[in-house]
Amino acid sequence: MRRRHELRAALGFLLPNLIGFGVFTAGPVLFSLAISISNWHLHRTVAFQWIALRNFVELLHDRDFWLYSINTAYLMLGIPVAIAGSLFLAIVLSQRLRGIVVYRTLFYLPTFTSGVALMLLWKALYNPEFGALNAAINWWLDSLHLNELVQALGGGGVSAPTWLLSTKNMLGLDVEQIRIIPGQWGLGARDALIIMGIWIAIGGNNMLLYLAGVSNIPPELVEAAQLDGAGRWAIFRNVTWPQLAPTTFFIVVMSFIGGLQGGFEQARVMTLGGPAGTTTTISYYIYTKAFEEFQIGYAAALSWVLFSAIFVITMINWRLGHKELHY
Amino acid sequence: MKVFFAITFCVLVLLSVVAWQMKPDPPPGKIPLVWVSDDNPARRQQIALFNQLHPEYDLRLDPRASTAGMEKVMLQSLAGVGPDVFDAYGPSELDAFVRSGIAWDITDELAKRGVDLEGEVWPAILPTGIREERVYGFPANVAVDAIWINKDLFDAAGERYPEGPWTWAEFIELAKRLNVRDARGRIKQFGFLCDWWQWPQFIMLFGGHIYSEDGTRCVIDSPEAIEAIQFMRDLMYKHHIMPTPVDEATMATMGGWGSGTITYFGAGKGAMALGGRWWLCTLRDYEGLNLGVVEIPHEEERIYRAYGRATIINRYSPRREDALNFLLYQAGKEYNDLINQQADALAAIVRYNYTPEFLHNPEHPEEDYNEVWRDVVKYGRSDDWSPFVNGQTAMRILNKQLDLVKSDQKPVPKAMRDAAREVNEEIAKTLEMDPSLRIKYYRLTGRERPE
Repeated sequence: MRRRHELRAALGFLLPNLIGFGVFTAGPVLFSLAISISNWHLHRTVAFQWIALRNFVELLHDRDFWLYSINTAYLMLGIPVAIAGSLFLAIVLSQRLRGIVVYRTLFYLPTFTSGVALMLLWKALYNPEFGALNAAINWWLDSLHLNELVQALGGGGVSAPTWLLSTKNMLGLDVEQIRIIPGQWGLGARDALIIMGIWIAIGGNNMLLYLAGVSNIPPELVEAAQLDGAGRWAIFRNVTWPQLAPTTFFIVVMSFIGGLQGGFEQARVMTLGGPAGTTTTISYYIYTKAFEEFQIGYAAALSWVLFSAIFVITMINWRLGHKELHY
Repeated sequence: MKVFFAITFCVLVLLSVVAWQMKPDPPPGKIPLVWVSDDNPARRQQIALFNQLHPEYDLRLDPRASTAGMEKVMLQSLAGVGPDVFDAYGPSELDAFVRSGIAWDITDELAKRGVDLEGEVWPAILPTGIREERVYGFPANVAVDAIWINKDLFDAAGERYPEGPWTWAEFIELAKRLNVRDARGRIKQFGFLCDWWQWPQFIMLFGGHIYSEDGTRCVIDSPEAIEAIQFMRDLMYKHHIMPTPVDEATMATMGGWGSGTITYFGAGKGAMALGGRWWLCTLRDYEGLNLGVVEIPHEEERIYRAYGRATIINRYSPRREDALNFLLYQAGKEYNDLINQQADALAAIVRYNYTPEFLHNPEHPEEDYNEVWRDVVKYGRSDDWSPFVNGQTAMRILNKQLDLVKSDQKPVPKAMRDAAREVNEEIAKTLEMDPSLRIKYYRLTGRERPE
C-alpha cells in the first residue's frame, strides 16, 4: 500500500518533466524521423507523399552536402588547440595567485557574453583594412621587411589575409569540388571562425571542468612525485595528465558533438555562409533547406544523417577513449 | 517538502495567469491589425497616418529582418498565428507566398471596390502583386535606380554634372577622373559606388536575362549576361572606379536600411552611386549634401530594374476583411502623397506622381531632380523569376558563383556557365517534386511528358 503510494508520488513529481520531455523533445524527434521519409514541402503545390529513403539517396548525390560536411569537419580542427589551451589555462589559474578570482572571471567572460555581440566584435577585428588583427600583421610585415624579402627572393609578396572575405584555407581545399589545390592555400573565412572559436572556448566551460579536475587531484600524489625528484613537466606528464583523463575524455566527446552541430550562429551573424559557401556547415545547411527553401522533409533527413554521424563518432570516441582511462 | 512543491506549483500557475492578463491588448473598441514589413521611420509614419484616418483600427508593425522575413511570415501563417498583412519584395517572394497558400486572392475584392490595379499602377511593379492574372498583393511603392551625384565633389574636381542619356564609356572616363587617392596611393574617394547585389540591374542593362521568358531555363550564361557581369567585375579590378570586396568591408557594409553604401555616399566617399529615390530617407539626414540625379548610362537597351513592395493579406487571418481597408488606404491619395513626400521610393499609383508636390516638395526645395525618377520608372522592368525553381535556392547558387567572380577567383564565363547549369539542375529537381509545375513546364516547352 505504502509502495503504491510512493510510486504515485514519484510519478506525480516526474510527470511534469516527462510531459515536457515527451512534448518538446521525444515527440519532435520522432516526428522529424517520420518526416525524413516524406517529401514534405511548405509549398502547397507539392503534394505530401511518403517517399521511403529517397531523401537519403538524394543526399548522397548532393554535392553541397559533402562540401558543407567538409566545412564542418574543417572548423573542428580548432578543437585540439582549444582543449590544450583550456588545460593550460586551468593549470595556470589553479595556482595560488593574487587576484585569481578576477583572472578566472575575466577568462570566463566570453562564455557568458552574448554570442552575437562577440561575433560582431570579431567581425570588426577581421576587417581587412581597419581591423586590429591586420593592423598588427601589417605592422609586423613592415617591421621585419618581409614583403621586400619575399619579393627579392622572387616571390609575389606577402600581404595580410582578407579573413572573412576569402575562400582560402590552411589545407588548400577547393570551394566547389572535394580536392586540394595550391591556389586555395592561405588564411580565410574558415580559419577566421576557427581562431574566434578557440578564443571563446579556451576560457569557457572546458577550462572550468579542467579547473575542477586539477583541484581534485590528491595533493599527496604531487608531493610524492616531488619527493622522488620529479620536475614540473614530469609531474604534469605522470600525475596531472593521467588524473585528468576522465575530464579530458568528457571534454573531447562533448567538443566533437558541439563541433558537428556547430557553425550556425557564426554563419548567420558573420558570413551568411559565404564567401562562396565556405562557412556553411551542416547545421546551417539544414536551416537553409528547411526555412529558406522550405524542403522540410529533406532537412529532416539531413538532421538524421547529422545525428547518425554524431552517434557513430561518439561511439568511436567512447570505445577508443574508454580504453585509455586508467581508473 | 510536499507543501513546498505544492506552493511553488501554485505560485507558478498564478504568475502565468498574471502574465496572460498583462498581455498588451489593443485599445478598447479598436480592431488590431499586424503588418510585417521592414522597420524604418517612414513605415512608422505610414502606420500613424492609417491609424489617424481609420480610428477604428490599431495597426502595428511586426518588423521584418531583411534576410529572415519570408520564412517567419510563412511558418507563422501556416501555424495560424501569422500577421494580418505582410509585404513581398519582388515576384519571386510573391510566388513563394502564393504557392504556400497564405496569400489571399484579392482580385474580386478589389474589383468590387472599383480598384483597377492594372490601369492605375506602374506596369513595372505589377509582377510583385499579380500571379497568373490573379491579384494577391497591392503594390505599395516602386523604385527604379539612377545615378546619384555629389555635386560638391564634382565641383571640387572641376567636372561638369553629367546629363542623360549618356554612355558607359563616358561614365567610366568621368568616374576615373573623380577617383581621389591618398598619399599611399589608396583610393579614398571612389568615382562610383555600387553594391554587388545590384548585378541583376547590369544584366538587364546589357540586354540579358536570368531566366528565359517562360521561366523554364536559366540563361545567365548568355553572352549578354556574361558581358554584364564582366563589366561589373571590370569596374572594380580593371577600371578601379568601384570598391572591391576589401574596400566594401572597409565601409563596414551591413546591408538593409541605411546600409554602408548609402552612408558612405552620404559621407562624401563616392562622387557617384547607383541607388534609388528611397536613399533620400537616409541622405536627408546629412546636412549640406548637394545632390543631383542622372539616369543610368546605357547603350542600346534602355531598361532599368524596377523593384518595390506589395502588401499581401494573410488568407488565414480572422480579420482579412478589415485588412482590405489597409490595402484600400494604400490605393488612396493620402498614403501615396506620403510615400512621395517621405521619398520612400515613388508612389505605385501613376497619377500621384504627376502632381506639383511630387516635382517640388515644399519641405525640400533643393530636391529639383524628381522628374528624373519619374522618367526612369517608365523604362522599369521587374526582376526575372522562374516559377520552376525556388527563388532562394536559385539565389544561393547564383550568389556562390558571383562571390567567386567578385573576389576575382573565377573567370566570369565559367562562373556563369556553372551557375546556369546548377540552376537548371535545380529546375529539374523541382519538376520531379511538384507535379503541377511539371504539367505547366511540359505545356510551355512542348516536350513530351515522360512516364
